[in-house]
Amino acid sequence: MNGVQDSTSAAASSQSAQRQVRVQLVSKQEDIALPESTGPILVPTGLRRYALSTLVNNLLGNDKPVPFEFLINGAFLRTSIDEYLTANGISAETTLEIEYIRALIPPLHIASFEHDDWVGSVDVLSATSLATSWASAVVSPGQERILSGSYDGLLRVWNMSSQIVATSPSPADGGHGASIKAAKFISPNSIVSAGLDRTVRLWKYNESDDGFSGKITPQIELYGHKSGINSLAVHAPSNRILSASSDHSIGFWSTKKSDAPAAPENLVPSAASRSSKRRKVSSSVSIPQRGPLALLSSHTAPVSAAIFDTNDSTVGYSTSWDHSLRTWDLVTAALVDTRSTSHSLLSLEHLPEHHLLATGTSARHITLIDPRTSATTISAMTLRGHTNAVVSLSRDPHSSYGLISGSHDGTCRIWDIRATKTDNDGVVGESVYSITRRSLEEQGKADAKRVGGEGVKVFSVCWDRSVGIVSAGEDKRIQINRGEGVLSSA
Amino acid sequence: MSAAKVSKKRKAVTKDVEEEAGVFSGDELNVGDIDGALSDDANDLSSDEEDSEVELVDDFSSDEDEDEEEELDSDEIPSDGEAPLKKKSGTSAADLEVPTNDDESSSEEEQPNFRIEKDANGNDRYIYDEINPDDNSDYSDVEENANTIGNIPLSFYDQYPHIGYDINGKKIMRPATGEALDALLDSIEIPKGFTGLTDPSTGKPLELSQDELELLRKVQMNEIPEEGYNPYEPLMEWFSNKQEIMPLSAAPEPKRRFVPSKHEAKRVMKIVKAIREGRILPYKPPSEEKEEDLELINYDLWADEAERPDHPMHVPAPKLPPPGYEESYHPPPEYLPDNKERKAWQEADPEDREREYLPTDFGSLRKVPGYGEFVKEKFERCLDLYLAPRVRRSKLNIDPESLLPKLPSPEELKPFPSVCATVFRGHKGRVRSLAVDPTGVWLATGGDDGTVRVWELLTGRQLYSVKVGEEDPVNVVRWRPSKDAVVLAAAAGDDIYLIVPPILDPELEQASLDLLDAGWGYAASKPAPKASEEGKKTTPPQWVRPSAALADNGVCAVIPLRYVAKSISWHRRGDYFVTVCPGSSTPASMAIAIHTLSKHLTQYPFSRRIKGGGPPQTAHFHPSKPILFVANQRTVRAYDLSRQLLVKIIQPGARWISSFDIHPTSSTASGGDNLIVGSYDRRLLWHDLELSQRPYKTLRYHRKAIRAVKFHPSGRYPLFADASDDGSLQIFHGSVTGDMLSNASIVPLKVLKGHKITGELGVMDLDWHPREAWCVSAGADGTCRLWM
Repeated sequence: MNGVQDSTSAAASSQSAQRQVRVQLVSKQEDIALPESTGPILVPTGLRRYALSTLVNNLLGNDKPVPFEFLINGAFLRTSIDEYLTANGISAETTLEIEYIRALIPPLHIASFEHDDWVGSVDVLSATSLATSWASAVVSPGQERILSGSYDGLLRVWNMSSQIVATSPSPADGGHGASIKAAKFISPNSIVSAGLDRTVRLWKYNESDDGFSGKITPQIELYGHKSGINSLAVHAPSNRILSASSDHSIGFWSTKKSDAPAAPENLVPSAASRSSKRRKVSSSVSIPQRGPLALLSSHTAPVSAAIFDTNDSTVGYSTSWDHSLRTWDLVTAALVDTRSTSHSLLSLEHLPEHHLLATGTSARHITLIDPRTSATTISAMTLRGHTNAVVSLSRDPHSSYGLISGSHDGTCRIWDIRATKTDNDGVVGESVYSITRRSLEEQGKADAKRVGGEGVKVFSVCWDRSVGIVSAGEDKRIQINRGEGVLSSA
Repeated sequence: MSAAKVSKKRKAVTKDVEEEAGVFSGDELNVGDIDGALSDDANDLSSDEEDSEVELVDDFSSDEDEDEEEELDSDEIPSDGEAPLKKKSGTSAADLEVPTNDDESSSEEEQPNFRIEKDANGNDRYIYDEINPDDNSDYSDVEENANTIGNIPLSFYDQYPHIGYDINGKKIMRPATGEALDALLDSIEIPKGFTGLTDPSTGKPLELSQDELELLRKVQMNEIPEEGYNPYEPLMEWFSNKQEIMPLSAAPEPKRRFVPSKHEAKRVMKIVKAIREGRILPYKPPSEEKEEDLELINYDLWADEAERPDHPMHVPAPKLPPPGYEESYHPPPEYLPDNKERKAWQEADPEDREREYLPTDFGSLRKVPGYGEFVKEKFERCLDLYLAPRVRRSKLNIDPESLLPKLPSPEELKPFPSVCATVFRGHKGRVRSLAVDPTGVWLATGGDDGTVRVWELLTGRQLYSVKVGEEDPVNVVRWRPSKDAVVLAAAAGDDIYLIVPPILDPELEQASLDLLDAGWGYAASKPAPKASEEGKKTTPPQWVRPSAALADNGVCAVIPLRYVAKSISWHRRGDYFVTVCPGSSTPASMAIAIHTLSKHLTQYPFSRRIKGGGPPQTAHFHPSKPILFVANQRTVRAYDLSRQLLVKIIQPGARWISSFDIHPTSSTASGGDNLIVGSYDRRLLWHDLELSQRPYKTLRYHRKAIRAVKFHPSGRYPLFADASDDGSLQIFHGSVTGDMLSNASIVPLKVLKGHKITGELGVMDLDWHPREAWCVSAGADGTCRLWM
């Protein structure tokens, strides 16, 4: 193996032996850092990533080569060093500081969980998920749970062996009357879900000791929205939920029965209501009904997503079809700031380390927005690559630079905000990997391009450190992909 | 004459004698004895041939006898000596005529030395005697046997047997005369070589030898008389094509062959000098032939030729710029190309070369060679003149680009729909109509399968479906525009269905139901139509409650129109809507109906047929004014509903209008209304009602009929779109400015393709999202598409 690498590096060096550049290889990760004594190395400028990776592996003396990626001045090296120097006008006589990180390994398809209907939402309960950490609970490896909310109105909890551990009750027994578009674990024992039936429902989730059966029992029905709910965000330590609805408002809810105000009468389905008549008749259980702590309504179009600030649960962000991203003070339920873009915003994720908010737009890209009032430019960066609306975003648990997006074009794309290229629009990010739907491959149409992502739209994506990338979509299945340290942390 | 003859004869004789004398004299000079022997031989011959008489003669002519007689007759001879001498010196023939000659010559002496004779013309001719050389004649070689009697007539010796004396004083005996001999001659055979002549020098008959006869024969035969001449000698080819090994001449080439001749040069210089000095004229100066023929009249055509201004079409040759340093034969070194430039120039195509020549340093003008391209250039110039004569074009110095209106590029006019985001699949058969609800969350569609469906717009999830038409297709679906209540109007078959889809929150649903239910009471309070009026066709229909199955599915009211409605258009406040039944069987008065939601009331505002343009096709309320626009096949008419007046007739010029739409902010932003009209004859027409009844702009971009046109409903995006049977939608940017001065600018933005053409039909209907620059289209292929 090493012999092969040596020969390749020798070949590479012979190609451009005439020019050499002094490089200082550094790494921020302790386990792969070179010894202190390693000084600048003179390397041929014709080297590319692979040759450099071989070089670092040789220097580290790794038996099993680890693929590395190389960063010069915060941008990935995608060309030869020579081309990079030429493109950036750097003299070959300067000492080049190259940072190396573990390369991203293409995420592999692990499993697909098939549903009866479109899957609108997905969440993961694992040792590293937020819900577990908030509850200080312990989830042993192999006991991870995946929660899916489907368009048939049912919540399902899956174990990793693609078995359904628990299913939510039918509408007659206090379940959702319409499609579920958002579902999340609050804690290992509680679930929140919402959908087109305009209610946010809190569920109690109990599991038998063996972990092969469980029960989802309705806890609270939260009324307040007048139209379908598009997304949910939870903050378990403060027992708060944010919901984004098509009625242009954001619901701010409490998970505690005692905290919540009474449900507004006009929105509770009553016997007089024509459509709820049938449902009411057959309803056998009575569930506590509560109202919102606050309805934040200043958006002028359906709100697509609302999240808590990762660091400060009193701050919320919301995106809407009205092209705006709004910052809320949740304590006073007051609008703090509005950032307007030029497209409908359909999804939202917070990147706290960079003070950025990533939002997916209907214009098929992801915009990174700095929400701070001091920020002069609204859009820090644009990540381009999707061919349809970007409706779901999730952070990379391994890296603060990583991001995954789910889009209606039927792909999930992994982004590293350091992987950029300069376009005529400014700095534009490129996706690192694109995950297609397994269902297409099974049909043998992996290459076929679906117009409008028909049949394979991704509605939800979740990235967990231990489970991997979980995505759900129109193909009625949850797809799990995993890469060993898909994105290098740094 | 006879004298001349005599003299001639004498001469001839003399000659003969001389020849013979020569022959003999030579011999004589050498050997005198041989002479005697010869004469003896002659005598012997004659004696052999002749008889005794000859002998006698011989005897007479013997030397001894002659000597004796000479001595005896010496005194008498001088008187008569000349004539015999003459005769003696003459030929023997002359001798025969001697007597007559003597007579004449004696008479001649008294006459002058010429004679007058008549020539052929009868004129006198003087013939002079030949001048004798006389004393001056030199007889240097006097022969031995020559008669020495001198110039005396020979007749003096007629009495004597001799005729004179030779140089030795011996008598020359008279030869035997003919009379004496004739008898002998006749008696003997004429021997070979007999001439009949007498040798005057010997007096013997002249006989020719064999050689002489041969010679005479050759002369007679025109042969070369020389002996031994062979006229048929073999030909020796000296100069032939054969290459001789040894040349005829091995002499070296003479110098004159290659050295210019000094002599010739001298001669030429002489001539040149003469020419220079004018002594020789090199050519003849043309003689000015001024033959003024008075009979010919010459007319001078150009006699009164005056300078005329140039013809208007006269095009002077373009002025070339003066030559620069580069074109010099000796350019400064900085203008000379280096090797690289030279190579580049040579390798370049002649057409691509920046200049046609390569600056070259020749050093001096005389080293400049002839221009190689001369003939070619002249030829091409001729071709140019022949094929492309210089013409003056009246060229406007206007950049054509500047004449075009400055259209912004589509990139600047973003956002506009460009890609298909969602496909709505579910309808069986064509989707005939669709509409996005006022909140922009739902999409309602109606199709050939008789169902009305409601979809979630973004995801394409079907939320609700109701089958309203059992057999008939749903022709049109339209949402009620305001947001306080949600009502969907659908036309299927002869009926209009008002639907409240069960996807609403209870509060809104209740409001919607209340709105629709309120009318029942109003209709009931109205007096029911009389039985007699019931049968009349013009009676407005009564609204009815739907069947239980439909009512469970959200249908709240049904309007039985009795004719197929193809167009529904809501008033912006949501209380009225207008339906149009364009079928040809529909009575004109019932084609257009206005329905009032709150009163469950249907009215027919038009009692008579619209004049001209066929049956009505579609109708729309003005977005802000109480004006109803009704389109029939060829015109669009605007009616003021409050005053019940025809306000305006718009003539788009289309053969068959399919649809039209009114700009949503027109007449609020600007003073005038803007209309777009789509027609089945593939035209999309923009009308500015302030400008004209005629279209402001006609857009023909579709290959097939245009089915639907629609402005973006919000004033935010100045977009409009049309849907065509060629399976495509076209998106245009059409901004209406506030001021009256500038007209609307229309920019084609995007052609959206995706719908399959099914049964000659492509896109049946389109609608815009109320806020976003998204658009939805209904296809004949059974799908609807969201474009964003």
